[in-house]
Amino acid sequence: MRGITRIAVAAIAVGALTAGCGGGDKPIGSGASSGNPSSSTSSGGSTGQYKKGGTVTIANVGGQTWPCQFNPFNPSVNGVAGGFVYEPLTFVNVLKAGATTPMLATDFAWSPKKDSIVFTIRDGVKWSDGQPFSADDVVYTFNLMKAQPALDIYALWTGAGLTSVTAAGNKVTLKFKGAAEPYFFNFANQVDIVPKHIWSTGEAASKPATWADPKPVGTGPYTVESCTPNNISYAANANYWQPGKPYIQKVQYPAYLDNNPANLDLASGKAQWGGQYIPNIDKFYKSKAPENNYWFPPTANVALVPNNDPSRPATSKLAVRQALAYAIDREQVSKIGESGYQPAANQTGVVTPTFDKYFDKDALTTAGYDKPNVEKAKQLLQSAGYSSSNPLKLSVITVTGYTDWDASLAVIKQNLAAVGIELSVQDLQQQSYNQKLYTGDYDLAYSSLSGGPTPYYELRQLLYSKNTAPIGKQANSNYSRYSNPEVDKLFDQYASADPDTQVKLIKQISSFMIKDVPLIPTTESVDWYQYNTKDIEGWPTQDNPYAQPAPYNIPDAGQVLTNLYSKSAQK
Amino acid sequence: MRYLLRRLGFFVLTLWAAMTLNFFIPRMMPGSPEQALRDRFSKGGNIVSPEQLRTVLAEFGFDPGKNLLLQYIEYLKAMVTGHWGVSIGSSLGVPVTTLIGSALPWTLGLVGITTVLAFALGTLIGTISGWRRGGLIDGIVPPVFIVTSALPYFWVALLFISLFAIGDHAILPNDFNYDQGLTPGFNGEFILSVLKHGILPAATILITAVGGWILTMRNNMITTLAEDYVRMARAKGIPNRRIMFGYAGRNAFLPNLSGFAMSLGFVISGTILVEYVFNYPGLGYMFYNATVSTDYPLLQALFLLVTLAVLICVLLCDFAVFLLDPRARTKG
Repeated sequence: MRGITRIAVAAIAVGALTAGCGGGDKPIGSGASSGNPSSSTSSGGSTGQYKKGGTVTIANVGGQTWPCQFNPFNPSVNGVAGGFVYEPLTFVNVLKAGATTPMLATDFAWSPKKDSIVFTIRDGVKWSDGQPFSADDVVYTFNLMKAQPALDIYALWTGAGLTSVTAAGNKVTLKFKGAAEPYFFNFANQVDIVPKHIWSTGEAASKPATWADPKPVGTGPYTVESCTPNNISYAANANYWQPGKPYIQKVQYPAYLDNNPANLDLASGKAQWGGQYIPNIDKFYKSKAPENNYWFPPTANVALVPNNDPSRPATSKLAVRQALAYAIDREQVSKIGESGYQPAANQTGVVTPTFDKYFDKDALTTAGYDKPNVEKAKQLLQSAGYSSSNPLKLSVITVTGYTDWDASLAVIKQNLAAVGIELSVQDLQQQSYNQKLYTGDYDLAYSSLSGGPTPYYELRQLLYSKNTAPIGKQANSNYSRYSNPEVDKLFDQYASADPDTQVKLIKQISSFMIKDVPLIPTTESVDWYQYNTKDIEGWPTQDNPYAQPAPYNIPDAGQVLTNLYSKSAQK
Repeated sequence: MRYLLRRLGFFVLTLWAAMTLNFFIPRMMPGSPEQALRDRFSKGGNIVSPEQLRTVLAEFGFDPGKNLLLQYIEYLKAMVTGHWGVSIGSSLGVPVTTLIGSALPWTLGLVGITTVLAFALGTLIGTISGWRRGGLIDGIVPPVFIVTSALPYFWVALLFISLFAIGDHAILPNDFNYDQGLTPGFNGEFILSVLKHGILPAATILITAVGGWILTMRNNMITTLAEDYVRMARAKGIPNRRIMFGYAGRNAFLPNLSGFAMSLGFVISGTILVEYVFNYPGLGYMFYNATVSTDYPLLQALFLLVTLAVLICVLLCDFAVFLLDPRARTKG
């Protein structure tokens, strides 16, 4: 039951990825071609016009009843407003290595030093109340976040070094203190643009952070028709700027508290779009109807995190960490622990196949991490001074109720026993686990972070020394306490580098994953995604990954919703 | 009268003690609202600083840096005056009263009615089977219900769902408190939908709760029936029905009463598992959620409600015993 909570938390986390847009399919300086997003996604999503009609019901466990607040700056509720009602300037596709699709901005251009960016704002867009949208709204949104620090949930003004946002005609310029490309993902893709004419008056203006925004006015494909704690009902936005879209006229978003009812509703076809873990999915879901489909694209790593701090005599030793990395049979962990839903990870820390172009397979093979090597692990342990008379005993912290992690750790425990390491598993309640993880009070931790449009985002969180903290203080995301000036330098170069260099930099960074073994990736965490094609088509698929497919991904949900259509409405 | 006054004094003292515990226990749990918020919106993010989190929480009226004693005094005042604040958990910014207001009727309706029903049914069946000890009813009903009451809620609920709610011949809904397409209101369609959605969760609670009442009532009944005053009543030729309910039943009922009062009090906290399985948006689930997200204001308000409900029910039970049992009166 609690594994579900993790998925819910992960869901929100995925929506709040760190920073930046990476070297996408298109050269970064040139932005994206102007025109409709439909043309950019036509590689498979929608090839023509469809008749309007139909309803989509989403079964995605939010783990709470709906508060009926749609303020996109409220981190607890923005998952039901972003993408549905509010839209960003540009959509960044994580599954296509950060490829961009123009949304409210038709184009963008970086300055040569990448310390300022100019967006060209789209003409002819209307808010759902009929008022025209303009560059003024964009400037207003960003400046609102400056005036109210509580709204700046991506820390653009305080962390990313944003210094000014100004408009001239239909051009909006964002200026930064230094090279800011890694934050593109945040300011272009995740900041929802809000209407000035609504937000500058009344309660919205006096308390923008806490305003409930019960009837949101946005530029997105849908408006909120009604909301109860049980269900949000969205209706197609008649003023939507993408001609003919959205095709689906109604979206129902019931509030599921637990996986079981949501899974049942997905299996029976009562709901068509899911985003959760279903145990034994082939039997429970796929076999129930030929139209039931699923796809789990990998986006980040689940890893065994050793405490690199010298205060831990065992795990701070390189030989011990290497022994762990050689001893674990990742394929086995994936098959037994995660029922094969999560593929095996690799020691470079680059998630494949999602980020194949950053993946240095040769380096992995040369180092011998491509398959488990029990003999080598034993030798390394011996060199570190451990033997059968002096066995290495380690404990690993994990979160109680994460049954898949428990199963994975059981496999890991067996693997390690084979080389003479005694692993004890400590199942902790979420909050105690966090406390220990953040402050570095552990030998090993089983942990997972969210990724981003390129491996840079996850690796930076895990390895950048500014993200760590001394033992006893809360670390931001580098919980292993890894700190290497050479690696930091590589991260620092990334922000202003060209796309090809960025690929090289990531390969260099992942070479340190092999050399220093700061952490040991075991499986790749995935986007949970189920879809039913009985009446609805246009879904993202493995062949056409036009957006992250799980409904909890914001703003990706908006991309999916504008591409869906009802087959019965076409007759 | 001194008896009643003493009970009242005890009530006030317990309430204060419980409220104090309610304040300190959540704060001694591992984790903090900042951490919960951090988990929620920056799990992957390394850019949201602790100051940023504090700013957001402060905006919603929670100042983690404030002196604990000061917080305690403000808390007591807020609890008494009913200013319960806004959620700082997963429903960030929603007034606690709104949250509770939307969940309370469903829990009261479902768990409240079924608890009373289970108690009434259990007491009646217990009385009859105790009276006709070794009879047909006594031979079948109590053993059956004792077995069902030993079954876990969760399992019974899942069994019901697989029997009645899924498959090709689903006759009852498996989740929610009413049909999602309907707008709440006093019309036949909506009420019917509410009733239909209530059947399975109610049956689950009933089946697992009734056995306990049957067993205790039956056993109380048997010991009471052996008392001299019952034999006296029989000898006097008083009708069986009157002896059963008015003589034996009335006394056998007393020990059960305080148990009933307690269970009524706990109606507020709902039955978390049942609400979980049936996706029934009541208070039990809200409790769970508030604990997980370290939502102090919501937790405090919910605890207060449970404490009040239990204490008031126990107090009412004391009054009832005072009325029903002459011994309580003479002692006082």
